[in-house]
Amino acid sequence: MVKQVRQISGVSCTVQLSKRILSDRIVAGTVRIHGPNFFWLKRRSQLDNARKMSRQTARIADPKKVNSELFTLTYGALVSQLVRDYESVDDVNKHLERIGYNIGIRLIEDFLARTNFPRCHDMRDAADKIQQAFKLYLGLSPGISNWSNGNEEFSLTFESTPFAEFVELPDSCSNLKYGNILPGVVRGACEMVQMEVQSWIIQDTLKGDNITELRIRFIKKLEDAIPAGED
Amino acid sequence: MTIHNLYIFDRNGILVYYGEWNRKKVPSMSKEEEGKLVYGMIISLRGVIEKVSPLDIKDNSFHYRTSKYKMNFWESPSGVKFVMNTDLNSPNVKELLRSIYTQVYVEYVVKNPLCVQGEFINSELFAQKLDEVIKASLSYTSRTV
Amino acid sequence: MPNLQIETEKIEPHASLSSIISLNQSKAKTSILDKSLSKGKQEVHLSCFALLFSEIVQYCQNRSSSIMDLQNRLSDMGKQVGLKLIDLIVLREKNYKRDIKLLPVLLFIRTTVWKTLFGKEADKLENSVDDPKQYYIIEKEPLVNKFISIPKDQKKSLNCASFNAGIVEGVLETSGFPAKVVAQSHKGATYYVITFDESVVVRDKQVE
Repeated sequence: MVKQVRQISGVSCTVQLSKRILSDRIVAGTVRIHGPNFFWLKRRSQLDNARKMSRQTARIADPKKVNSELFTLTYGALVSQLVRDYESVDDVNKHLERIGYNIGIRLIEDFLARTNFPRCHDMRDAADKIQQAFKLYLGLSPGISNWSNGNEEFSLTFESTPFAEFVELPDSCSNLKYGNILPGVVRGACEMVQMEVQSWIIQDTLKGDNITELRIRFIKKLEDAIPAGED
Repeated sequence: MTIHNLYIFDRNGILVYYGEWNRKKVPSMSKEEEGKLVYGMIISLRGVIEKVSPLDIKDNSFHYRTSKYKMNFWESPSGVKFVMNTDLNSPNVKELLRSIYTQVYVEYVVKNPLCVQGEFINSELFAQKLDEVIKASLSYTSRTV
Repeated sequence: MPNLQIETEKIEPHASLSSIISLNQSKAKTSILDKSLSKGKQEVHLSCFALLFSEIVQYCQNRSSSIMDLQNRLSDMGKQVGLKLIDLIVLREKNYKRDIKLLPVLLFIRTTVWKTLFGKEADKLENSVDDPKQYYIIEKEPLVNKFISIPKDQKKSLNCASFNAGIVEGVLETSGFPAKVVAQSHKGATYYVITFDESVVVRDKQVE
């Protein structure tokens, strides 16, 4: 379909268009220019730019980010596999914590590489960094609260976590600590920077609580490994 | 300027990687023995450095130099240790070691499910990326004979 | 007078019942169906996913006797994801409609599904020359393989993108196109080899 579109100062130009496209919004099709017609040339390049930009915005996907639902459902597939593989819910809880620990000891390396942070000097410092890590990795902003007297124990509170999205616990799994990976991650990560901590979930939105609350307690500072035969 | 070789120890002092680029003298012992020797030395050296330090700061890196080469040490806060022998003129080896940690070790060892912690790193991808980073570094490219 | 007595008897149990109901309601958890569905724009850091996937691979590996077994386990996990995920995507992107022809479904997986999941479309969709039941979705660098270096001796056989193959299988199953999907390494790319059920191909010829 060839259509004569406009005549400007006596120079004609034809535009070959695919059927349903209006003359002013050239999206698919070629522009043929008869004679020097700067108006159309300019128009064309503007449209091209606009197209490029819209394509870029459509492709915003940050290569460092992943769709959180892929993450949620993948975690869900893992938990349901564990429930099938282990006989008791207690074993599943333990194993989830263990998996979290394994992730934690690796995730901390990534965190250190990204942030260039030194080791923490106390629990307040650690709490602050753990909070930042949640922001960086899961896009969450947990609250820090309920400090114990000696500043050795605190809570992280979450309004929601990506783990619990789409989840409802059946009665047969009412004791399942679905998000038990989290305390494991915290324990593993802290251990790698020489802090032994204990961590556990005390409130869980999946159990009907208003928030999910993760408790973290400082146990002791670990010493660096010394090679065998040295003191 | 020259990079001779690189040792990586995990947080428990196990030699998990060794690579060499311009090492002219063949060592008289096995890699494992050499690894133990190097690890023992850097830990002792670090102990001494901390004990006699006139300043109250802890640093996670140091180097010593002979008249011919320089041994550079850098440790991540998580206790992964990198030891690299270079010639005397190599600039910024500490930065290079840090970038090996952030760009190669964390990406291709930590996130690779087939790399088991505490075992020798047996990954082509890791070796290849490491080689790229080393060869792109100033210490490697500007080399004098 | 007897009438009145009967009435009071009726009222009492009724009142107590309603109070029980209200008590129950205040204790009950809010059902997941009462919550509104998110727009699905949230993201987590790639490292989180990479490490979770790494744990999944290791978990499957510990329970597998062979590479084949490992791949099947990964594929099963992926299938769970695919089965559920497609509902979300269809709901958001396709206005509750699903395709009934084979080719549009495959194109939908290659483009929309892949983009939603991995932020990019899969590279190619091809049809097998000699088997009308077989199609290939081809991806040069699957996200799940980004950090994985396969030892030389396993290079031909092991491909952790079996997980993705499982996702495709799940998506196809929910869409009414039963098929077997396996991931194969070929010429440095990953081929998701889709083999449809005979019935699917027959039906597809009938639907015009």
